[in-house]
Amino acid sequence: MHDGSGRIAVQNLTKQFGAVTAVQNLSFTVEPGSVTGFLGPNGAGKTTTLRMVLGLVTPTAGLATINGRPHNQLGNPARVVGAVLENEGFHPKRTARNHLRVYAAAIGVPDQRVEEVLGLVGLTPAADRKAGGFSLGMRQRLALATALLGDPQVLVLDEPANGLDPEGIAWLRTFLRSFAQQGRTVLVSSHLLSEVEQTIDQVVIVSAGMTRYYGPLEQLRNSQRSRVLVQPADANGLVKALQEAGLNEVEPTPDGRVAVAGASVQQIGDLAAKAGIAVYGMQEDKADLEKLFFQLTSPQYGAAAMPYGQQPPPQQPGWGTPPQGYPPQPNPYQSPPQGYPQQGYQQPQQPQQPGQHQSWGGQQ
Amino acid sequence: MGNLIKAEMRKVLTTKSWWALMIPAVLFAFLFALGWGAITNDLNDYLGSSDARQLAGALGVQLGELPVGLLSLAHGVNIGTMFPVIFGVFALAGEYSKKTITTTFLTAPNRVSALTAKMITYIGWGAVYGVVIVAGASLATLLTVDSRGLPSAGQWLAVLGAGVLATILATLFGIGVGAVWNSVVGATVTLTIWMLVVENVLVFVSFGWWGVRWLGGVLPNGTLNGIVGAIGAEAFGAAGVSVPGELDKDFQWLLQYTAGAPGAFSWWAAALIFLAWTMLFFAGGWAANQRRDIT
Ligand SMILES: Nc1ncnc2c1ncn2[C@@H]1O[C@H](COP(=O)(O)OP(=O)(O)OP(=O)(O)O)[C@@H](O)[C@H]1O
Ligand SMILES: [Mg+2]
Repeated sequence: MHDGSGRIAVQNLTKQFGAVTAVQNLSFTVEPGSVTGFLGPNGAGKTTTLRMVLGLVTPTAGLATINGRPHNQLGNPARVVGAVLENEGFHPKRTARNHLRVYAAAIGVPDQRVEEVLGLVGLTPAADRKAGGFSLGMRQRLALATALLGDPQVLVLDEPANGLDPEGIAWLRTFLRSFAQQGRTVLVSSHLLSEVEQTIDQVVIVSAGMTRYYGPLEQLRNSQRSRVLVQPADANGLVKALQEAGLNEVEPTPDGRVAVAGASVQQIGDLAAKAGIAVYGMQEDKADLEKLFFQLTSPQYGAAAMPYGQQPPPQQPGWGTPPQGYPPQPNPYQSPPQGYPQQGYQQPQQPQQPGQHQSWGGQQ
Repeated sequence: MGNLIKAEMRKVLTTKSWWALMIPAVLFAFLFALGWGAITNDLNDYLGSSDARQLAGALGVQLGELPVGLLSLAHGVNIGTMFPVIFGVFALAGEYSKKTITTTFLTAPNRVSALTAKMITYIGWGAVYGVVIVAGASLATLLTVDSRGLPSAGQWLAVLGAGVLATILATLFGIGVGAVWNSVVGATVTLTIWMLVVENVLVFVSFGWWGVRWLGGVLPNGTLNGIVGAIGAEAFGAAGVSVPGELDKDFQWLLQYTAGAPGAFSWWAAALIFLAWTMLFFAGGWAANQRRDIT
């Protein structure tokens, strides 16, 4: 049987569709208690990887496990992992409730669970409508409801925000965060960093089937050093003064300002005052994650776009172990496998609030 | 396994294809049996010709009292079995076309158990089809065939048993073809045309032009029909039993044809050969599904 750890492990995964290499030697692990973003541009191999994790696609090489086991050895897999996949199918003539009842039977959970998940995703009012008539967002909710039927420990979601309205996205965000806070595992793919930035703690960035970055999002953010834009009375004077003080990443900008990296606003202010140069304004230019993501995933940047002290080339043996300082986080939320609460996410705060229900059930 | 079978039952019962196919199955079985029943009485009257007299003498039956009701039963059941074949096609190929196969595989311990549950469920459904189809054909036979031409209770039970066996195998055959080809429309259209037209033309033409009599005894539709049809053919001494005295081979074929089983060797040979066809497609479909990428 599986080890109940809630860990997803992808080891040297490769998938070839004929001549197309969809995924190439991909390795990463997803730890419980956190939301991991799986990011990459269109065609990067995200869907293929997730489907290999779920046993739907057979890898050409490598291994993907959940709880230490491949999907087909999990026993009753829907109790361990729930999945929301792209263009997942519903029989168009089957009602949402009947769809869920079919799979509740397969998993072996009581029919009562169907009503619970319908309420959870706000589909109760539409439960007896045929899935063929559902909007994109409603289908996503039905897919999520199906994934939650078995009250799984691990959730895998492929672009779940597609088709959701802003309210739905906000709900999903809260839901995934609280799901992870119970010590469960969430792996969520997206091709937009901004879409999941507020949701995720960990990030795996892939492009062209290869890992570009894998680690905490915070580390990625910090790796991009921010700079300060200074508007001085005398730009040349300030550059000289700062350079004399030992700051060498100083350069004038075309609009007459001075861009300084590697120094705080206070340091610059002090140095300017000492040099007797008036400063009219200072502005911190924060790391732009989206730009970073774009660099990481643009093929032309390739490995060159790794100014963060990571050891990039994914082909290297040993990439399977996390790059530099991947935190083996002691996880306060992680509950021991045996004591895994079946009704775990029923109690917690946000997603269950009636008000949220209201908004989610709004569409008929 | 019980859970998965329950899920498969719910899948069937929450869509309408099971009754949308069962109604025409019974209806066609009834109408074909009705039509054949109406003309078989004349057949009994016709059986005064030399060949028939010779045959009747050999079998020790009285002229004009052959159980011609078996013919109408067989033709009714034969047309009815088309529908469980199509029903079987929907079982797996339908899941692929609607993409529900993803969730089906995600909620089953592994693909073997998912497919096994499906197989068991559809064996049950195949049997239900068999019972209602035989019932439809029987009703029509009772309505049309004179009492002197009705089969005995034992023969009738044999038709029921053979009919249920035929529809179970027909359902599995449909699943297999659907699983290999993976297209509901393609498999349904091709199977319908093959079973209703192509194979009949092949069997008829090869008999007429080249004198090949056995072809219907080995092809899928012929063997499927032969399971029930051969019971009638055997009752007339045209299959399975060796008739003392020379029964003209071509006349024998024609009798088999009339019974709906041209070329059939015997009901059990037909069943075995059709089982082989079913296994061929079912095993092929099964193997393909173990490996197929669901993308
Ligand atoms: N069944 C298939 N047959 C052939 N090629 C495939 C198949 N599935 C995926 N591919 C190819 O594999 C590559 C990766 O596709 P994949 O769907 O995994 O990307 P993705 O990261 O999910 O993209 P998106 O953001 O658009 O969803 C693409 O080049 C795609 O064309
Ligand atoms: Mg994708």
